[in-house]
Amino acid sequence: MKEPLPMHRESVLPKVLAGDAPRVEDPPMDSDAFAGFYERSARPLWAYLARVSGDPTLADDLMQESFVRFLCASRPEEGEVAGRRYLFSIATNLLRDYWRRRRQVSIEELPDELMASNPSSLSEGLIGPALARMKPRERQLLWLAHAEGYTHREIAEITGLASASIRLLLFRARRKIASLLREQSSTPRRQP
Amino acid sequence: MIARACAHENEVAEVLRRGQWPSACAPELRAHVNTCRLCGDFVLVAESFQRARAEAASAAPVVSPGALWWRAQLRRRNAAVERIGKPILGAQIFALATNLVLVVVFLAYQARHGVGWLTWLEQLPESYKLHLDQLGQQLGQSAHLNPGWSLAVLIPSTATLALLGGVVAYLASEKQ
Repeated sequence: MKEPLPMHRESVLPKVLAGDAPRVEDPPMDSDAFAGFYERSARPLWAYLARVSGDPTLADDLMQESFVRFLCASRPEEGEVAGRRYLFSIATNLLRDYWRRRRQVSIEELPDELMASNPSSLSEGLIGPALARMKPRERQLLWLAHAEGYTHREIAEITGLASASIRLLLFRARRKIASLLREQSSTPRRQP
Repeated sequence: MIARACAHENEVAEVLRRGQWPSACAPELRAHVNTCRLCGDFVLVAESFQRARAEAASAAPVVSPGALWWRAQLRRRNAAVERIGKPILGAQIFALATNLVLVVVFLAYQARHGVGWLTWLEQLPESYKLHLDQLGQQLGQSAHLNPGWSLAVLIPSTATLALLGGVVAYLASEKQ
């Protein structure tokens, strides 16, 4: 993510003395434009986060944080498509940070509710159990490619992976989930 | 594993993207997908993910964009204040450290050479010496104060307290 430019004392102090500071830079879009962008992007982003993380509550938090960071980032105006891609890349980084933090916590420190299975409406259907057996990175790649329709180059931009490796990773992931989906559809479902 | 791609993969992807699969696409392509494992996988996965996306998007809880907008504005403002506050805080710490060093040097010097600057008080006529017990009597207070406490102690103490109070008040107002 692009960091905002640091402010130097030489540039800040005259503004402070002139009573002109602190001045907040203009956000990338105004509130009305943001409302429209949010309407069009919030649901797909939540779906991505919820399906990839498997946790709707976490998806709520990360979605809100992604939008706030999106608005706080100082970046040139690039249009809605690029904006949405940038939003997905923020969400992907947040997910990665979350997984990294969880890995650092020992299993004894985790609360019981995290260890219990989380039955939610999202785990129903054919894809839920198959996705649950995939690695997080595979879930991300598959979702971005097949649910969001991003190209390999765009996926590389969002995930930070090398563009050349996306093709192979996606090929493997697709093959794996396809065999899981076929396996599930051939196995009769148990009635509750 | 070698990532073999089928020559029809892009075509299949385009048909899926346009929503033309399976009814509105060419029968030859449909026949190909039925026989090609790679394209079959592609269609199966893409359809499953599209369904899952629609399902999950309809279940998405959407909060007010206004709340997020103001949260971001607040965060941007706080970040700007923090960036501006850093050099000012540095200057305050530097000033405080310099003053402390000066005070320590001064006290060390006075300890070594005796408190000579207090001797002028000794030279004051006895009648002008203000004793605290007299002050207490004047104010009609009942508390008995040590008569040995003279102006020589009172003045520097008051001055130090006033100085420290000013510094504390300034730092507190800066924090707010």
